[in-house]
Formats: sequence, structure tokens, C-alpha cells
Amino acid sequence: MIHVESLCVQYGTAVALDGVSLNVQAGEKVALIGANGAGKSTLLNALSGIVARKSGTIRIDGRLAHVPEGRQLFPELSVDDNLRLGAFRGGDRNPDWIYQLLPELAPRRRQRAGSLSGGQQQMVAIGRGLMSQPDVLAIDEMSLGLAPIVVQRLAAQLIRLNAERGLALLLVEQSARLALSLCDRAYVLETGRVVAQGPAAELRDSSFVERAYLGGPVEGAS
Amino acid sequence: MTRSVASAWPIAALAVAALATAAMLDESALSVYVLLTLTASVTVGVTLLMGHAGQVSLGHGAFYAAGAYAAGLLAKHGFPTWGALLVAPIAAAGIAAAVGIPLLILRGHHLAFATLALHLIFLSLISELSITGGDVGLQAIPSLAFAGITFGSVRDYAYLSASALVLIVLLAQNLLASRPGRALRALSSSEVAAASSGIAVGHYKLAVFALSAGFAGLAGGIYAFYMGYLAPGSFPVVLSIEYIVMAAVGGLGKVSGALAGSALVFLLVHGLSRIATLSGMPGTAPIILSYAVYAVLLIGAVLFLPGGLVAFIAARRNLRARPERTVQPSTPAASDSASSAVASKRGSYS
Amino acid sequence: MSAFISYLVHGISVGCGFALVASGIIIIYRVTRVVNLAQGMFSVVAGFAAATLLGVGLPHGLAELGAIGLAAAVGVATGCVAIAKPGTSPQASLIATLGVGIFAYAVEILGWGDQPRSFSGLSGAYEFWGIDVPKQYLLVTLVTFVVFGGLEAFFERTYTGKALSACASNPYAARLQGIGVLRMGLYGFALGGALGGVAGVLLTPLQPISYDSDVSLFVNGFASAILAGLKRPVLGLVGGLVLGIAESMVAGYAKASYQSSLALLLTLAILVAQATRREALHAVEE
Repeated sequence: MIHVESLCVQYGTAVALDGVSLNVQAGEKVALIGANGAGKSTLLNALSGIVARKSGTIRIDGRLAHVPEGRQLFPELSVDDNLRLGAFRGGDRNPDWIYQLLPELAPRRRQRAGSLSGGQQQMVAIGRGLMSQPDVLAIDEMSLGLAPIVVQRLAAQLIRLNAERGLALLLVEQSARLALSLCDRAYVLETGRVVAQGPAAELRDSSFVERAYLGGPVEGAS
Repeated sequence: MTRSVASAWPIAALAVAALATAAMLDESALSVYVLLTLTASVTVGVTLLMGHAGQVSLGHGAFYAAGAYAAGLLAKHGFPTWGALLVAPIAAAGIAAAVGIPLLILRGHHLAFATLALHLIFLSLISELSITGGDVGLQAIPSLAFAGITFGSVRDYAYLSASALVLIVLLAQNLLASRPGRALRALSSSEVAAASSGIAVGHYKLAVFALSAGFAGLAGGIYAFYMGYLAPGSFPVVLSIEYIVMAAVGGLGKVSGALAGSALVFLLVHGLSRIATLSGMPGTAPIILSYAVYAVLLIGAVLFLPGGLVAFIAARRNLRARPERTVQPSTPAASDSASSAVASKRGSYS
Repeated sequence: MSAFISYLVHGISVGCGFALVASGIIIIYRVTRVVNLAQGMFSVVAGFAAATLLGVGLPHGLAELGAIGLAAAVGVATGCVAIAKPGTSPQASLIATLGVGIFAYAVEILGWGDQPRSFSGLSGAYEFWGIDVPKQYLLVTLVTFVVFGGLEAFFERTYTGKALSACASNPYAARLQGIGVLRMGLYGFALGGALGGVAGVLLTPLQPISYDSDVSLFVNGFASAILAGLKRPVLGLVGGLVLGIAESMVAGYAKASYQSSLALLLTLAILVAQATRREALHAVEE
């Protein structure tokens, strides 16, 4: 699905990613964890083509939907419009199936997206990503600023989508605990390099990860 | 303010070159020279303003006009001409200070619009008021006279305008080398940082605005005596654009850039006008060519000159960037400090 | 009283012209973050083109449409200069549009000379309650309202309109959805060009235009847009009408030559007031 080989990305002279290799197979759930500034968002932006790569290769088989950090909705547009615009590059523009998946949004479809709560906005953001019928969904900091119960609900929906539709997931999180509990495999990114990778269970038990990441803040305050 | 021998050399060389040129050129070239040196004087102020204090001025022609009209009016009403000339920069600087107090709170395209509005309002005023002669303007301004010397010939004014330019360059260089000048440079790279290190940002911005207006006013005053007559039509909005083109082409913030840019653009346009007035060319050819040249130079400078207009204005843009409104890859709150520091300068299209 | 009504009527139709220019500025700004200093130029080009097309025998209606089409094309060209080069900041784009406007001066003088031009629109007037209302005024007002209705429908009802709004709202997120921000930006410029063109063909019969008429058109258009807060294009109609009527009153009751200065001072006052309030808010936050 996603094959990244020795990817290097620079912002001017600042090196953001230094030879990162990563892959996500069809139907997999992969976590990408790392602290603030490790380069996780940069990697996703490189995958979506927002940021140019200095060297290395990126191959994506199928369609990737990138749900960015901080929701990044179109605040003046309605929930419905936000969802429908998710299908810009393809897919059915009718968002009814999203409302079935996330019923909490249904009564709010005409509401200005900017007026929703954080958790609802995250639902819209994920729904927007899903509208393009992607093969892999990359979500950046889903849990940031959300109450644990909301996060759990969202996570449950994602797991279901993965199980029922084979939607591959790439979860980017500072909160290692959450990501490792949801995913099969994980990569740990530190200052632009992959410093650890492997099955989630292994990493969960690894003392290195435990020390550095599992003791850290679970939900970032913003 | 220390001035070492090393830094005195360029000014001395400039003075010698400027005055020698005034001595050596023939009559027809001298009239071009006078206008060139006057234009360059204004451009020095504009480049300081844009390159260091970070303010776009689409209306500097108004200060040029203000100095000209101030000098012309006083001279016509019996004031000693040399006194009128001295009042010109003061008047221009005073107007700048007065309007700058409310206007300099604006930034980016708002400030650009405000300065354009300034020029237009000024033009409207001098076209209306009878004291300034309305559309017809001021005629028969007496020649400049000082200590028994009357400035009668073009060459006299060439020496005067060249000297004024050298003086302005001197003042500009000293300003940049001094403590206030260093504060200015801090301002141009980051207003927020400058403010938080205790620099009275507002005061400096106003001071540079007024000073650059003063430069333009002095040039305008000389213009009034040189031409002997003034009319609103001598100071169209395009004049303000010319200064920006020259400053941009030469490289913003550098006094030498102002000189180089002025010389290049002015002579290029003048040369093309000469070609355009050859027999066989339509009467509008000169104006067509000059507009075309200005446009191409301006677009070229702004799109392709690295570190020129682009970087300057980009740094001036809304320094309190609101996260959700920027094109940056990640919201500043939760992102890489490295990438957001560099990315915050990349508020660009791709 | 009839003087007041006639000033009002004049102000409304002039204000409609401002509104059309303002809407072009607003749309381009919202989609690309660029303030298009060449907006007035679109109107001038359209006015000249319409005069030429009418001169070679094209009927009314067709000539105007042709002129508007040309203005839209010029809009796209302006957009290319302003935003097609990757890495151009909005401020550089602003100056680039200034350059395009100046280049247009050269082209306009080359093509049409430096003297004012006009063409006749609708002649005659209707009488309402003893007041003569020139038909051209009515045409201007009617067309403007229709155009704005169309704009509302476009932005509120069509998918492309929503995509354009998305670009304005959050360019980064728009890119993530695959919305080509450059392509949308050029659509915005095309639309801005067309709107400028409509203003040009409607206003030229009322007042002859020359190559430098774009300055006052831009100044009034931008002032109207500022009054409307640079947000939704439809609000440009409100801003334009307010400004047009105010200027007409000043011209009628005071001195005609002060009307543009009034527009400018009003706009500056609002800009400064807005900025002062913003500064005060930020000071409070600290």
C-alpha cells in the first residue's frame, strides 16, 4: 500500500526527515509514534504531496486520505459541505453513509463546522477523509485535545472500518499508549529517523519505548 | 556614532563622482541628471522604509509633491528662497509624522492601500485649493538664491541636486550604522522579537517614515526651484510606483541599491523614450514604453529577485499569524519547532 | 426632495458599479489571499473592448458579452502572473498585480490611445413620481442584482463554488482533498475578471473611461470591499451601495471633486479603527 524508502525532507536547511523507510500493507493498522518535532506530520505531508522530498522514494498503491492534525476543517462551511468536499478527488459525493457511521453528526449536518465541539470536529475530519473511499487512512494526532471517551468511540469506528472494509490505517500519535493498543505494527520516529520498529506488542513491552514514550503525556493540551 | 576612515571612502567617492558628473555633462544631459539625482534621493528614503522598517509606501510621490509645493508657495509669498528650501523637507516630514501616527498601525496590503490613498487625497487637495493654484498650479516660482548666488542655469541645479543626494546618502548610511539603525534592522527581521526586546517599535517606524518623507521633501523643494512651476499633473500616482520599482530592482534596504536601481531604471526609461520620440513613432510611444518597462521590471523584480521585494514583504505580513489561516503543514501549537520556524516564513503557494 | 431622490438614484447605480468591482476583489482575495490591484483594469479593458466591438458593428449585448469574456481572459492572465509561480507570497502577488496593471496601461494606450472613450448605453429615461430615472441607471442596478444573485447561487449551491470557498477558508485542507489550489485560484481570477468586465460595460456609458480610470475604480471597489469586511462577495453589494450613495450625496450637496477623497478617508478610518481594535484585543490577551 504505502512504501517509503530512505525518505529525506528538508525545510530550507533544517532536516525534518533523514532517511526514513516505512511501509503499510493492505488492511494493516500501523502506528507512527514520536515526540513533538520528530517529523511525523512532515512524513504525512510528504505522503500527501504537500511537502517536496529531497531524496528517497514514496510509492502509494491506491488512494490515501490524510486527516491532518488539528482537524483543519472548513469552518464557515456546513458539516455536510465539509464531508462532500472530501469526495473531490473521487468517490460518491453523497455523505449519507458517513452519517450512519457517525450518527452524532446527522442532526448537525447543516451546522457550521466551526461551531462544533472538538470531538465532533474530529468526526467530521475523519468522515471527510473517508468520503474519498480511500484504501488507507492516515490520521495525525487523532486524540489531541479530545476526551478519552470520545477517542475510544472514534477508535472503535476505525477498527470496525478496518475489519469490515479492509481500510488500512496509519495512526500518527504522540500518545503511544493509544496507538500501540490499536495497531498491529509500529514505528518510532525520533528527530527525523526511525529508531525502533516492529510488532506493537513487542514495542509495548520494550523498556526503551516505555521509558521514552509510554510515560509521556497521553493527551497533548493545545 | 563612530565613523571610521574605511566607511568614509564610499561617500567621498560618491561625492566626487556626483559633482564631477555635474561638471562634465553637457546641457541636454544635465536636465536628465538633475531629475535622476532627485529621483534617487527619494528612492533612498523609500528603500530604507521598505527594506528596514518594512513598510510599503505606494504614496511617496505625495511627500515629493508636498516638499515642492511648500517651497514653491513660500517662495512665491516672499519668503527667502533658501529658507523655503529648508522648510520643504521639514514640511514633508511633518505631514508624514502626522498621518503616520494613525496610519502606521496598518500592515501589508492595508498600509499599501493607505499610502496610495494618501497620494490621491493629496493630489485632490492641491487640485482644489486656490492657494495652490488648482489644476493650473504654481507659476513663476523665483529662482533659488543664497548668499548672493543665484541658481540660474541647469548646471547650478545639477550641483545642488547632486549635493542633496550625497547628503541624503550620508544621512541614510549614518542612520543605519547608528544604534537606532541597528534597532531598525532588528525591526525588519522580526517586529515581534524587536518589540519584546524593548525596542519602541512604533516610534522607530514613525521616525523612518518621517525621515524618508523628509528626503523626498528636500528633493521636491529643489524640483520646485529647478522647474519654476508646479502642477498636480507633475506628481501622478505612477511616480510613487517608479520609486518602488527602482528600490526593488536595486535591492531593498541597501542605499547602494537605491542608487543603482534608480540609475538603471531611469536611464533605461529615458533611453527608450528617446528612441520612441524618433520620427515615425507615434506620439504616445514614449509613455507606452515607459509603462511597459516599469511593469516588466517590477514583475521581474518581485517574482524573480531573490531576497528582494518578496522576502521583505513576506516578513512584514501579519506577524501574529493565526494558525488555522496559514498554509503551514502543521499547527504551530503542536508542531516541530524547527519546521514551524522555517515554515512560518513559507506562507506561500506551494 | 427631488434633488435628493436623483442623488439617491445616481448613487445607487454608481454604487452597483463599485459593488461589482468589490465583489471581484473579494472573490480573488478569499480564494488566493491576494489583493488584486489590477481589478479596476479589468473594467477599463472591457469598456474599451465593448466600444470597439460596437464600433465594428456588433450589436448591443453581443459586444458587451465579448468584452466581458475578454476581461475574464485578462483576469486569468493576471492570475498567472500573480500566483502561477510556486513560492510567491501573497504580498509579492500584490505587487505583481500592480505590475500587470501598469503593463496594461501600455497595452491600452497602444490599442486605444490615451483619450477617454465611451459608448452609448440605453438612452432615455423612465419617469417615476415626477423624477426622471435614466434607463441606463436601471439597467446597471438590475444587472448588478442579477449578477449578485448568481454569485450567491454559485457559492452556496454548486460544488465548484463550495470548492472555491474551501480554498478561501483553509487552503491547506483544500489541498489535502485534492482541490487544486492553483486551478481554483485561476478560476477566482477569471471570475474576478468577468465581474470587473460587467462593471466596465455597465459604467462606461455613464462616464467615459480612459486608461487611468482603473485607479478610481479600484479605490472605490476596495473601499466598498473593506466596508463589507472582505468576507462574502454578496456583502460587497452592501458596501458598494453605501459608498455610492454617500459619494453621490457629497457630490450633490457639497463639492463633486471631494467625493473620492471621502471614500478614501472613510476607508482609512475604518481600516485604522479595525486595526486599533485588533491591537487592543491582542494587548488584552497578553
